[in-house]
Amino acid sequence: MTEPILRVVGLHKSFGSLAVLHGINLEVRRGEVIVLIGPSGSGKSSFLRCLNRLEEPTAGQVFLDGVEVTGQQVNLPLVRRQMGMVFQHLNLFPHLTALENVMEGPRTVLGLTKAAARERASALLAKVQLADKAETKPVALSGGQQQRVAIARALAMDPKVMLFDEVTSALDPELVGEVLSVMKQLADEGMTMLVVTHEMSFGRRVAHRVLMFDEGKVIEEGPPEHVFQHATHERTRRFLQQLTWEGQAT
Amino acid sequence: MPYIWRFDVVIANLPILLQGLWMTCALTVLSMVIGLVVGLVVALFRLSGWRILAVPATVFTELFRTTPLLVQVVWIFTVLPLMTGVALSPFFSGLVALGLNVAAFMAEIYRTGIYSVDRGQRHAAHALGMTNAQTMRRIVLPQAVMRMVPPMAAMWVALFKDTSILATIGVVELMYEARYLASDTFRPLEIFTAVAVVYFALAYPQSLLVNRLYERFRVRE
Repeated sequence: MTEPILRVVGLHKSFGSLAVLHGINLEVRRGEVIVLIGPSGSGKSSFLRCLNRLEEPTAGQVFLDGVEVTGQQVNLPLVRRQMGMVFQHLNLFPHLTALENVMEGPRTVLGLTKAAARERASALLAKVQLADKAETKPVALSGGQQQRVAIARALAMDPKVMLFDEVTSALDPELVGEVLSVMKQLADEGMTMLVVTHEMSFGRRVAHRVLMFDEGKVIEEGPPEHVFQHATHERTRRFLQQLTWEGQAT
Repeated sequence: MPYIWRFDVVIANLPILLQGLWMTCALTVLSMVIGLVVGLVVALFRLSGWRILAVPATVFTELFRTTPLLVQVVWIFTVLPLMTGVALSPFFSGLVALGLNVAAFMAEIYRTGIYSVDRGQRHAAHALGMTNAQTMRRIVLPQAVMRMVPPMAAMWVALFKDTSILATIGVVELMYEARYLASDTFRPLEIFTAVAVVYFALAYPQSLLVNRLYERFRVRE
């Protein structure tokens, strides 16, 4: 049994007196794709943001490849760059072109030469089907294109884990597919991924494991066919039904 | 009897007016430099998160933003020497007053510029593994500066005109020379009209430039 790439032990998060996470435990194997579902406010986004400490956990531990991210002496930038993150609100750097957005991490953080960073960034833009948009500023890209650049930007750091925080929620419906396709491709290539999403079809097709969050706890966990078809928890069944119309029809 | 305009008085005294104009320009440049530097320090103090720096910086900013410039100029020229025993020449008093006044407004321009950069930008930079300093230098400041340029340019034009207030404490700039010539030649109408034209002729192109800058640096997200 190999050491899990990501291990979370008793993670708690409170905003003042409001507790949003109540002791989450999780072990993620290399190459595993975990999809986190649950109603808004259930803590799944906060959970993701606690992993690279964009939110500071109130208690608990996070280990990435054996290194404690939550440790006092940890080199936070060093562990953060090993966790790629893609956000709901795109957050591309508007003053840089698509290519420069992807080059920024390798240049500034990894210290690559301009030529090396450019080569890496070009290859990644090609991978997300955006080679022809290299010199375009984010403002001139569609939401789906921006989100694919954001994925390339995160991949440029050669991360051990990728965190996707509702990356299709802010997109027009017709742009969702192109982003999910890129994510599916990544999963097929063996990338370890934690995906917060409301796209249940993605969960069904790509996830190895689905976690159902409710009120800061994981109330259901298992392979997608289990969670989506044979949920043991009433709350999970209700959530899945509310989510789609077809749930009511069957 | 209709008034007979005699603009030859202006022509004859042009060298004196130009000398005053030169001083006006020098005051504008120097107080702008003071404002840019001191303003940055004040803004950094306010953004530092340390009360011991933030509170004095806030007091400074609010004092200079809520009292008239004329009062500040006169106060620094007349009251400050009595309190400290150090008398400054009209030129240096005026420069200090103007410079600090500009600094207070600049501090706010810096601060709001930095605050206006979306929090998500910082998160994205941190998630890439950037340190706070790298995030500031590579991501936040380049975007903030674009938002700072237009209001700073507008400030510059206002400053150029506001230097005229220093005439009251005897700084020999354009307005001072005008007042001197007006009483010397008994031709205030011509002299002050000419001075108004000079201010307008110099400030208007700058004002147009400011409008261009606002257009050019419009934030597109």
